[in-house]
Amino acid sequence: MSLDKTADRVIETDVLIMGGGIAGCYCAVKAASKGLNVTLVEKAKTDRSGSGAMGEDHYEPVPCDGVTPLEFVKLWQERQHDVCGDGRFVDLNIPYRLLDKATWVLDESEKIGITMKWTNGEYYHMPSGWFGGPRLMIRVHWSDIKPKLANAVRSSGVNVLERTMIVDLLTNSGRIVGATAVNVRTGEFIVIKARAVVLATGIFARCYEPEEPLFYKYQMKYHWCPASISGDGYAVAYRAGAELANMDITGWGYRIRDDLCISYGNFDHGDGIRAKWYTWDGEEIDYPTAPLYREIELKGKDPIYVSQEHLHDDYHRRMEVSFTDEKLISFKISEDRMFNPRKHRYELMENHPLNFMVPTGVYVNEDFKSSLPGLYAIGDCATGLHGCGNAALSGLWVGDHIDSNTDVASAPDIDEAQVEKQKKIALAPLNVSRGTEPIELELSTRYVCKRYVGMFKNEGRLREGQRRLHSLKREFLHKLMAKNPHYLMRALECRNITDLVEVHIAACLERKETRGQFIRLDYTEKDPSRDNMITIQRSENGQAVMEIREAPDLKPEYLKEEK
Amino acid sequence: MAEPTSDKHYEDRFEFPLWRLIKERAEEKDISYHDAMFEVVPEYEKTIRYGDTEFEQQQIQKRRAEQLALSERERKLQRIHEGG
Repeated sequence: MSLDKTADRVIETDVLIMGGGIAGCYCAVKAASKGLNVTLVEKAKTDRSGSGAMGEDHYEPVPCDGVTPLEFVKLWQERQHDVCGDGRFVDLNIPYRLLDKATWVLDESEKIGITMKWTNGEYYHMPSGWFGGPRLMIRVHWSDIKPKLANAVRSSGVNVLERTMIVDLLTNSGRIVGATAVNVRTGEFIVIKARAVVLATGIFARCYEPEEPLFYKYQMKYHWCPASISGDGYAVAYRAGAELANMDITGWGYRIRDDLCISYGNFDHGDGIRAKWYTWDGEEIDYPTAPLYREIELKGKDPIYVSQEHLHDDYHRRMEVSFTDEKLISFKISEDRMFNPRKHRYELMENHPLNFMVPTGVYVNEDFKSSLPGLYAIGDCATGLHGCGNAALSGLWVGDHIDSNTDVASAPDIDEAQVEKQKKIALAPLNVSRGTEPIELELSTRYVCKRYVGMFKNEGRLREGQRRLHSLKREFLHKLMAKNPHYLMRALECRNITDLVEVHIAACLERKETRGQFIRLDYTEKDPSRDNMITIQRSENGQAVMEIREAPDLKPEYLKEEK
Repeated sequence: MAEPTSDKHYEDRFEFPLWRLIKERAEEKDISYHDAMFEVVPEYEKTIRYGDTEFEQQQIQKRRAEQLALSERERKLQRIHEGG
């Protein structure tokens, strides 16, 4: 069978980027500037997609107060310990690079018209949020970061395919050679031959309840957890045989009810004034970690509220400016809810995970290369990266270094049988008339995660969850129906979500210990054999493989660094 | 203060000062809120003590002292709970 007959369109490119968020756009612009033929595939609209869709009010890291990369790695680890517990969970050379190359990112950004400078033309380093320490975070006026980046991408000559969803990656002899995709407006099936593929689809979160009570509308609109994060990059990498890391690590998600937003750049972090937390009857408590939250629940003292009432008026005004940079809609939502942060308290979400944390994702080394030749992961999609600063750096770095990888003698050789198989999977829901709506399966899967995984795990629940998930996949995945191509996207997302939940539960079952906010009620102590270990999972000929591997420490030359 | 879980607590209408300015500017010039925001925010910023490190440190220290007192109280309660 000829490829031209199977596909509606065949595209050949040097670099295929999956995801047009901040990381994907930075990568596309940089790779194109080096003369490479770049194709960027975005399932939504690049102008307003990804975690930065509504804007950004802060950016980090930016060197300040003489902090060296080595010191930054220590600070970075301390921050991870709050969620993950002690030990290292990722290649520590990644955070080292984040600060080591931070200034380069600022310069590169300016070159493409993206400034991180404050109104006065200087970098505005905010006071450190945790009572002192170096000021590594800056405030930015990035309300239009995405339209600006999308313009930069277009003017760089990048071929942008919007409303297009990647189905799966194409492999040949253990190497990534491209991907298949479907246009979710027209149903056009596309084969993209690529010498290198970069995954930039953000973090995975859509297996837990997002924003209540309006979850049917996918109200997960906080800036780093948009509705789109169905783990597409994680899932295609996993199915292609690349390694995923730490899929057991979900922390308690700090979320506010009623669609109300906090301003991340100010609140509790950047501007140095810590929030206050209260039980429902007004008793002030410490920062509510998952175990403390549970203790309060058992005492009948929840809901827990978070408050800004104590802030000086100057800080309330800073908060308002932050809203304009990151989520202008917050004003309207607060007004509609009759909410006044000067005198009202935000209700925190209940005590369950809401998303995967920094150490999870496609396992990469400090060059953001995955375990499969020709495959990279950047931004929140990769292990150890989180936030817009990390997205910008990893995107630029890969865009700058990818040419040596693409310098191969022959064009990618595509396995047509693989393409045919992926086409059947992608378009099958169009032929199902009395089947299952994608949202039905998605919500059932979320329920499995909430009820049988959750914050407080045990073997019995996890096993039951695993059984129920297998049952859902067996019974409903092939019955997913799509009344139009848009629903093909939902069906494909569902496939990705269910595959990743399977990986998630398997990782949780394997980890028989309690560490940080990974809590097993049947294994309440730390397992010393898991110190500094990464849970690695991959698919080998369709079979799940798991490996517990030591996380790389800093390179000796980095450890020698002196201030 | 009215009890936080009561409706009464949420009775007062509130408008963020900056949001009010944005809406007024948008109406006055017949432009979008988004465009009005770019005009209004630089003016509003001038009323904020950005970069006033003395003021910021004062606020940080005040909050820090409160937090330390809370943590100390929690530790004491924990010791009592453990029979220490």
